[in-house]
This record gives sequence, C-alpha cells and structure tokens, in this order.
Amino acid sequence: MLGFRIRRKITSLLSYILACVAVFLTLFPILWIFSISIKTQRDAFAIPPIIIFKPIWSNYTKIWQTAGFAQAFRNSAIVTMLGVLLALVVGIPAAYALNRLPFKGKKALTIWLLLSYMLPEFLFIIPIYILYQKIGLYDTQIGLAIVYQVFVLPFTIWLLRGFFADVPIELEDAARIDGCTRFQTLRRIYLPLTAPGIAATAILTSIWIWNELTIALALTFETSRTVTVAVAGFRGYASIDWGSMTAASIVSILPMFVFAALAQRYIVEGLTLGAVK
Amino acid sequence: MAPAVSILLLEIKMNNHIHSLEEGTGKHSNISGYLYVGPALAILGLTSIFPVIYSFVMSFFNWNWGLRVNFVGFQNYIRYFSDPIFWKVLGQTFYFTVGAVTIEFILGFGMALLVNRLNFGIGVFRTILLLPLMVSGIIVSLIWKVLLDPTLGIVNYLMSLVGLPRLVWFGSQSTAMPSIIMVDTWWQTAFVFIVLSAGLRSLPSEPFEAAEVDGANAFQKFRFLTLPMLRQVILTVLIFRTIDCLKVFAIIFGTTGGGPAQSTESIQTLAYRTAFKFLFLSRAMTLMVIFSMLILIISLLYIKFGERETF
Repeated sequence: MLGFRIRRKITSLLSYILACVAVFLTLFPILWIFSISIKTQRDAFAIPPIIIFKPIWSNYTKIWQTAGFAQAFRNSAIVTMLGVLLALVVGIPAAYALNRLPFKGKKALTIWLLLSYMLPEFLFIIPIYILYQKIGLYDTQIGLAIVYQVFVLPFTIWLLRGFFADVPIELEDAARIDGCTRFQTLRRIYLPLTAPGIAATAILTSIWIWNELTIALALTFETSRTVTVAVAGFRGYASIDWGSMTAASIVSILPMFVFAALAQRYIVEGLTLGAVK
Repeated sequence: MAPAVSILLLEIKMNNHIHSLEEGTGKHSNISGYLYVGPALAILGLTSIFPVIYSFVMSFFNWNWGLRVNFVGFQNYIRYFSDPIFWKVLGQTFYFTVGAVTIEFILGFGMALLVNRLNFGIGVFRTILLLPLMVSGIIVSLIWKVLLDPTLGIVNYLMSLVGLPRLVWFGSQSTAMPSIIMVDTWWQTAFVFIVLSAGLRSLPSEPFEAAEVDGANAFQKFRFLTLPMLRQVILTVLIFRTIDCLKVFAIIFGTTGGGPAQSTESIQTLAYRTAFKFLFLSRAMTLMVIFSMLILIISLLYIKFGERETF
C-alpha cells in the first residue's frame, strides 16, 4: 500500500514537471520576443545572448511614429468594432428566429452557416475584391468589416443560438401572454438573460477579427490597412530591424491577451457546456 | 484562433438542436421569421453566396482584368490537372496538414490527459497553455523568424550549446516545411488541448471506478473507456484542425512566402500569387473551386467515418 502511494506521488510529480515544460515552451517565445523589443540593436544581435541588460523603450515610441503603425492600430480597432457590432445586430434576430420562429429554408440556412466555415478564404476574397474595386469599398474599414461577416456572422449566429436555446421557453410564453411582441420578448427576456453569452461572443469575434490577416491583406492597401498587415510589412526587407518588428508584435498581441483574460471564463465554460450536453 | 475553440461548441450544439430545428420547418411559413433572418440572409448573400456562385461561373471563363471575357469551358480545370506545379503544391499542402494535425493531436491529447490528472493549478496551466491561440498567425511567423534566425537566432545558439548542428530552418528546401509544421504546432496545439480537456472533464467517473474495481490498467482504461467516450469530440477536433491546416496561409506567408523554390507553397498562397501577383483572376478562382470541393469531400469523409460505431 505504501509503495502504491509513493508511486502515486512520483507520477504526480512527473505530471507537474511535464506541465511546467509545456508552460515554458509556450511562454518562452513570447517572453524572448519581448526581451528583444526592449534591447538595443547591439544587445539584440549579441551571441551569446545577453540575459542581463538595461531595458530601453525607444522601439515602442519609434513604431508609433513610423510608417502608419498608429493608423493601422486605429484601423484595426475600428474594423473590429464595426465587425462585431454588425454581427450582433444582424446575428441576434437571426439566432432568435432559428430557435423560435418557423420559416422555410431553415435547414438550408443552418447548413450554409457551417459550410461557409469550411471554405477557403480566397474563394470569397477574389470575387469580393473585384466587386469592391467596382463599387468603391476596396481599402475601406466598413468594406472590410462587411467581408469579415463571411466567418464572423455564422460564428455569432451559431454561438448565440446555443445560448438562446437555454432560455426556458415558458418565460417567452409568459411574456407573450402578457402582451409582449416578439421583438419585446427578444429585448426584455432573451438579451438580459444571455448577456454574458453575448459578451463572450463579442470578445471571441473581436479576437478573430483583430488577428485576421488573409482577407485584410487582399482587401486593404493603405488607408484601411490593419495592424496584422502592418506587422507583415516588417517581414521582408526590414526584417533586420528586430527592434521595431518585435515591439510591433508585442503591441498587437497585448490587447488580445487582455480580451482573452476577460473571456477566459466563457471559453472554458462554453466548451464544457457544449461537451457535457 | 480563439473563436475556433468555440466552434466545437457550435458543432456539438448543432447535433443536439438539429431536431428542434426540424420541428419549425415545413409546417407553416411565418413572415416574421423572414423578418428576423432577412438581414443575415442579405449579408450572407453578399459575402458568401455571391462569391461562391461568381467564382464557379468565372472558372469557365478566361478573364484577367481586361475587357475581354472568353468562355473557355473546362480549360482552366484541365490546365490545373495537367500542371505538375498544382500537384506539387497540393502534395505540400497535404504534407503540412497531415504532419501538423498528427503532431498537434498527439501533443494536445497528451497535454489534456496530463493536466487532467493534476490536483491543483489546473486553471493556471490551462490559461497559460491557451495563450498561443490568441496570437495572430502573422505575429507567430515573425516571432519564429526571429527565434529561428540561422545566425542570430536563440534556437540555433541553444542547439550549438548542446552540440547539435545549426540548422537553416526556413532557408532550405528540406527543412522549411518541417519548420513551418513546428511553428503551427506551437500555435495550434492548444486548440486540441483545450477542447479535449473539456471533453475529458465531461466524462462520467463511474465507468472508470468500475474498471478500477475490475482491475483494469491505465492503458486499458484509456483504450476502452476514454477513447470511445471521447469519440465525437476527437472527431470534431480532427475535422476542424484538418480544415484549418488545409487552408494554411498566414504562417507560410509570414515565414517563407512559399519558398525556397516553392517548396512550402500551399494552395492558398498559390491562389494569392495567382490572383494578386500575376493577376490571373479566373485561374485563381478555378483553383479555389477545386480546392473547396476537396475540402468538402474530406469533411464528408470524416463525418462518414464518425457515423461508424467504433474507431
């Protein structure tokens, strides 16, 4: 019995060691990049690498002043907000209807929502690019926010539909008997009850939009360039400018880590709900 | 990508609600239903249904921004199917997908089993291990370009410390694709991990206790209890990772740009260059039509496989 207990202890210790290795491998690249972003060029290129150094923040002040990075950051913020707003405004009634209202073609719509996920970006990008060039939406924030609905809207509808389905139908019936219209039940019953779910959906879609590169690369040029496209610009000829490149990377990652921290409870909670059900 | 995490939720919810959906259809159509889904239909029509139809139609024409639009029938398709570059790129896309999905699945599943056994600190581990999913693919590329720099990178330095040979990573035809697979592994293993973790936690404990009483060893419990009970979750993870990997773009664009000598070109980077560098629009659309069909077929195969009773 004692031997069994000791074996348990050892495997438990081993588990912790392995988990710490995984944590180290996960964090090291990000921390290393951060350390380079606060090094001088000379320190950054030193071999063997310098562990103890005097941090400088000039890379961060520099990127805000160079080549439209601030503009790109602002663009990303605006496109993200527009995209999320559009998805919620359009997605909330759609999710409600999919749950509670009868209409023909419901199944076809459901299947389409899933299909549009599977399809590759450039299938959508090229026709939209041609269309946008013609109607003047190319390189605009709103144009980009609209295209993002290809993935964001199905995602939002699916997620919200799940949350709405958890609202007891008796509540809705009671409200209807009391004379509420459909729209009023949606507004007064569904929205307050599923507010955390809606917030989580908004955060998750924000992260997706903020991080998206492929579509932004093809559909923006200069005025509406997003932060991912701007960061991509550091990759080619300027790749030796590690200071700017790493500082820009860290600046673009940070808001997402904050968002992830906010939504973390819902990511895991949502997943558990989904898996348990 | 983080939202991708919750796709699992969607998929599972779909299975549960598909029946409740069916109740609504067919009986009597309701105007207010269309009123509520109308805006969504309009947006989906513009952003996804129009492009799909347009791409499909244009794949039978030859058009490169000029005034001339020539009907060419299946010529675009024939051109691809007889083009060795297409097959090479398709092969590379599969090489990446099979490599990345296999490694990520094994590592992610292992991590999920591991963290599931911990007595305390599970939340902290989960939060940290989730972080790479929050990072944009292009930034992941840049991070690893710096780490794997042949001369100045920390990884080669660390390898030389323990006597391993220095590698050129993204720089040679033989190591470029494995390097990209490694980058994707760092980025997306967390998806497998987080989804399977949730799956593991949802498992009932009674069968495991019963198995313990019957003297089953750890492997037997894993093979005959965990695996079968997690079957749907595992398939969901595999479907989403496979589709995501087939569509790979950002981390190739950000690291090698498809090089050296097209050795890491994927279907989507090829489409990007065909359309936006060479301006062969109808040809790029043909490529995407072929590729979409392929993705659909692969997804259907998975689903078909999922309907079978056992692994």
